[in-house]
Amino acid sequence: RVAPGSLLLLLVSNLLLCHSVAPLPICPGGAARCQVTLGDLFDRAVVLSHYIHNLSSEMFSEFDKRYTHGRGFITKAINSCHTSSLATPEDKEQAQQINQKDFLSLIVSILRSWNEPLYHLVTEVRGMQEAPEAILSKAVEIEEQTKRLLEGMELIVSQVHPETKENEIYPVWSGLPSLQMADEESRLSAYYNLLHCLRRDSHKIDNYLKLLKCRIIHNNNC
Amino acid sequence: MDLWQLLLTLALAGSSDAFSGSEDSSKEPKFTKCRSPERETFSCHWTDEVHHGTKNLGPIQLFYTRRNTQEWTQEWKECPDYVSAGENSCYFNSSFTSIWIPYCIKLTSNGGTVDEKCFSVDEIVQPDPPIALNWTLLNVSLTGIHADIQVRWEAPRNADIQKGWMVLEYELQYKEVNETKWKMMDPILSTSVPVYSLKVDKEYEVRVRSKQRNSGNYGEFSEVLYVTLPQMNQFTCEEDFYFPWLLIIIFGIFGLTVMLFVFLFSKQQRIKMLILPPVPVPKIKGIDPDLLKEGKLEEVNTILAIHDSYKPEFHSDDSWVEFIELDIDEPDEKTEGSDTDRLLSSDHEKSHSNLGVKDGDSGRTSCCEPDILETDFNANDIHEGTSEVAQPQRLKGEADLLCLDQKNQNNSPYHDVCPATQQPSVIQAEKNKPQPLPTEGAESTHQAAHIQLSNPSSLANIDFYAQVSDITPAGSVVLSPGQKNKAGMSQCDMHPEMVSLCQENFLMDNAYFCEADAKKCIPVAPHIKVESHIQPSFNQEDIYITTESLTTAAGRPGTAEHVPGSEMPVPDYTSIHIVQSPQGLILNATALPLPDKEFLSSCGYVSTDQLNKIMP
Repeated sequence: RVAPGSLLLLLVSNLLLCHSVAPLPICPGGAARCQVTLGDLFDRAVVLSHYIHNLSSEMFSEFDKRYTHGRGFITKAINSCHTSSLATPEDKEQAQQINQKDFLSLIVSILRSWNEPLYHLVTEVRGMQEAPEAILSKAVEIEEQTKRLLEGMELIVSQVHPETKENEIYPVWSGLPSLQMADEESRLSAYYNLLHCLRRDSHKIDNYLKLLKCRIIHNNNC
Repeated sequence: MDLWQLLLTLALAGSSDAFSGSEDSSKEPKFTKCRSPERETFSCHWTDEVHHGTKNLGPIQLFYTRRNTQEWTQEWKECPDYVSAGENSCYFNSSFTSIWIPYCIKLTSNGGTVDEKCFSVDEIVQPDPPIALNWTLLNVSLTGIHADIQVRWEAPRNADIQKGWMVLEYELQYKEVNETKWKMMDPILSTSVPVYSLKVDKEYEVRVRSKQRNSGNYGEFSEVLYVTLPQMNQFTCEEDFYFPWLLIIIFGIFGLTVMLFVFLFSKQQRIKMLILPPVPVPKIKGIDPDLLKEGKLEEVNTILAIHDSYKPEFHSDDSWVEFIELDIDEPDEKTEGSDTDRLLSSDHEKSHSNLGVKDGDSGRTSCCEPDILETDFNANDIHEGTSEVAQPQRLKGEADLLCLDQKNQNNSPYHDVCPATQQPSVIQAEKNKPQPLPTEGAESTHQAAHIQLSNPSSLANIDFYAQVSDITPAGSVVLSPGQKNKAGMSQCDMHPEMVSLCQENFLMDNAYFCEADAKKCIPVAPHIKVESHIQPSFNQEDIYITTESLTTAAGRPGTAEHVPGSEMPVPDYTSIHIVQSPQGLILNATALPLPDKEFLSSCGYVSTDQLNKIMP
């Protein structure tokens, strides 16, 4: 079942996948004057989340290939992500059971919690010796688009649940020291973990948004 | 000897070890594949070798662990279901499946880990093949050789697309039945895709496979869809061969009948006219050529009086008339080819020749005097001197032919109208050429006048239209005989003085005229008295005398005074400067001196624009 908005999704995602293309701000004139429909908001959000996940996957693959491949990091580095404290649904049934409002708040929390890690990731990678351009550019892009996605999500929340109080609670990342460790192995492990978590969380957000879109906009009939 | 034995023993031992080792290693079960078809369950498979090696591996077990919350529990649990996925497999149902939680599984035998693997479920997602493939014909090419089809399918049943849990992309492959290599199309997100340009006479196979977007691998291919395109070629060919004889016969008979009726109920003339329509005859609105034939000049006058400033003075003594030399004695003179040729001495026959404009067919044929204008009015080679010389002779001849040619009456359906038209040509007398004709100019004036007077009826016989075939340097016009020339009448009436203007008679329908002619004419400003009359009405008609110059240049009297003493070759045709009906025409005299050679030689066709350039 292909929703009509999927054409827009496809078009925009095609544009986005030309890496350097970024979607325009959703409401240049300010949120107050925006008259975008909820369906369009969700479409944009899904496109953004998909884009961010693609970038994260690629960044992780490149990092792994370049620095940590075949060194068994995966077994060592399946550590906790700072967002693991959030009660995120882990499978379809759980995703279906969570209610809409909580679901949206959850997504917003995850996005908020990644603001700071992404910022530091960019800073640290930029300051690296022989900063890998591919990884750096993707990190920069992910940071930018995550901010946009957060704005979009806040818009959606304000439309769907206008009464929601602004809840600023989100998991805090404290992995900066590990990124700056002198020991290369530890440092690489920290990066690996961070990128792995980023990939996973971006995938979660992408999946959750697709679920919500089908649930809210298309009434479970995408 | 001991050494040899030792070596042999070692070799045997080693080989036996090797054998045993390989057997053992080959018998160890390994994970072959873990797969989740819908992201809700997954299963893992391993190899199971029958082992009858020395080691007894015992029952194989699978243990798994997954990281819960923040702890890597390292608590291995045994596989919950060894059965559902078949032999040597472990099936994890949805309660055991978590998406973003990594799993590790290990295979043990006799307590010893045989194989281990870690993954997350998204990595092992491999959707089921799409179902319900079908195709529809989109269109067939015009040649009937190629066709486009639209292939549609559905997502596998167990993939939850509706809730958005899975987003699939598909890859279609197709090939001809007897080919070995599949053609691939780019991944698409929708469940239908057009396949273009399949050959109609071939059978194709189509298959589709799906993959979760952004992660996992492609699943298995769907069942092959066989596409047999309808063979339309044969039908079209058959239709081509079917020749509709019956229709042809019916319509043929019908057409013949129609034609027969046409023939029967219409006169021959009409058919001839239908098949070969005559060239439109120049005529003045409201004037009946037959009227002119009858010679009732009074009526003609009244009719022409409708047009502005038409003075019914056919018989006025104007210079046009003066210079006309009638050659009444030669009835068949016009049949001898160009009159100008006759007028001129033989060596000048060609010199004058190609003046004027190639006027095509218009006018001439309408006069039904095709032989009149056999004189070459091509202005290809215009020789100033000779042409000028030729002018008077030819002009004379033409004038003769045109105006006072009683003998032409029999031949031409249109009577000569205006003797006076001949006069301008003869004004060329000033050319100073020792030609018999020019010298006759002065006399011819009288003669012409005389003739004119003596032949009042001749006017009636004069053609209404006369084609100006030549221009004297004096600006007089030599008109071709036997031509319908409504302006000819006015020409005749013109005072001789007005003839001076070189008339570039650019033919009627085509506005082409010889540049040389145009140029020649301009400076030739015969001392034609300019009359104030203008005949704008002539402009709209198809007359031989060109209408371009029918301007209101009433102020051309100056040129009229100009005596064309220069060696200006006079073209056959001059544009009419003023039509002074009934006195005649004032023709434009080109102010240019002898045109450039190339100009002259380029004479053939001159467009109106060029003419306007030439003309002052």
